[in-house]
Amino acid sequence: MRASTRTVPSERVAVALRVLGVASLVGVVATVWLGLFVTPPDEFMGNLVRLLYVHPPMAWVAFLAYGVASLASLLYLWPRTRSERFDRLAGASGEVGVVFTGLTLVSGSIWGRPTWGVWWVWDPLLTTTALLFVLYLGYLALRRVPGEFHVRARRSAIGALIAFIDVPIVYLSVEWWRSLHQAPTVLNPTTHKTYVHGSMAWTLLLGFVSFTLVYTWLVAHRYRLAELQDAQDTEGLEIALAERRAEAVGR
Amino acid sequence: MNGYVEAGYIMVLGTLSSYGVALVAREHAARRRVGTAAVEESIATSADAPVTDLTSPAPRDTPVVMPGELEQDAPGRAP
Repeated sequence: MRASTRTVPSERVAVALRVLGVASLVGVVATVWLGLFVTPPDEFMGNLVRLLYVHPPMAWVAFLAYGVASLASLLYLWPRTRSERFDRLAGASGEVGVVFTGLTLVSGSIWGRPTWGVWWVWDPLLTTTALLFVLYLGYLALRRVPGEFHVRARRSAIGALIAFIDVPIVYLSVEWWRSLHQAPTVLNPTTHKTYVHGSMAWTLLLGFVSFTLVYTWLVAHRYRLAELQDAQDTEGLEIALAERRAEAVGR
Repeated sequence: MNGYVEAGYIMVLGTLSSYGVALVAREHAARRRVGTAAVEESIATSADAPVTDLTSPAPRDTPVVMPGELEQDAPGRAP
């Protein structure tokens, strides 16, 4: 059995979360406004370029989420830093990462249909991203397998680290294999040049910042939900014990 | 625009807002349940406050045998 984790979130944390939520909302609204109404159409892609103000930020946040989940898993596995908090953080970040990976795949598919003429192609980048989605779905399923808390947390942490191996493969797949997907345009690792300029660049940058804030807000709420669920489990156990004590006394 | 752009934005924003609202609703529901459980727990424990340890002997309905009585009932000894 594990120690009681009943914690009441302070008012300060609640206020900080509210501020973060408002900042995220403002950022996303500004990104959508700039992306849809202010920035010009692209010379080659036309209005379809507007989808790229949300698609790369989705992919970036997915990578960030899996990076945080892996770091938290590593900290959980390390005996000196082992804490239930890191397990909860890994679970929260992993779940939000799966949402963003799904959005990356679907928004990319919506962009690909008019650009490439197909909804889906077994391109290395798309395939490894789909694999990443399935790997982290498996990680979330692994977290739900019943078992003693620390056993479950340890095997989940190992699962998260194994799944993370695919992240650099996804990123570098456009360099390693002949790919239909375009190479990085914000900062190309081969040419060290950026291919986005002016209002397009600022809108894309705002998109990255805004959706990172959204990610932080979502993870914070998912973490608090996990904390409350743990507290609920512990309290349920304590109530059951109290009832057994009452029965023993009444006999 | 051409419909694809609108569809992409609606899908992304709709999914994220639905997920966010669901998380907040689940968090509020969990907080209410934890609050209720805490009250139930305090009622259960306060009703039986004197006995909190299962390993300690129960105070009632337990036959109390004094050492002297055991010696008196021992076989082979004169009454």
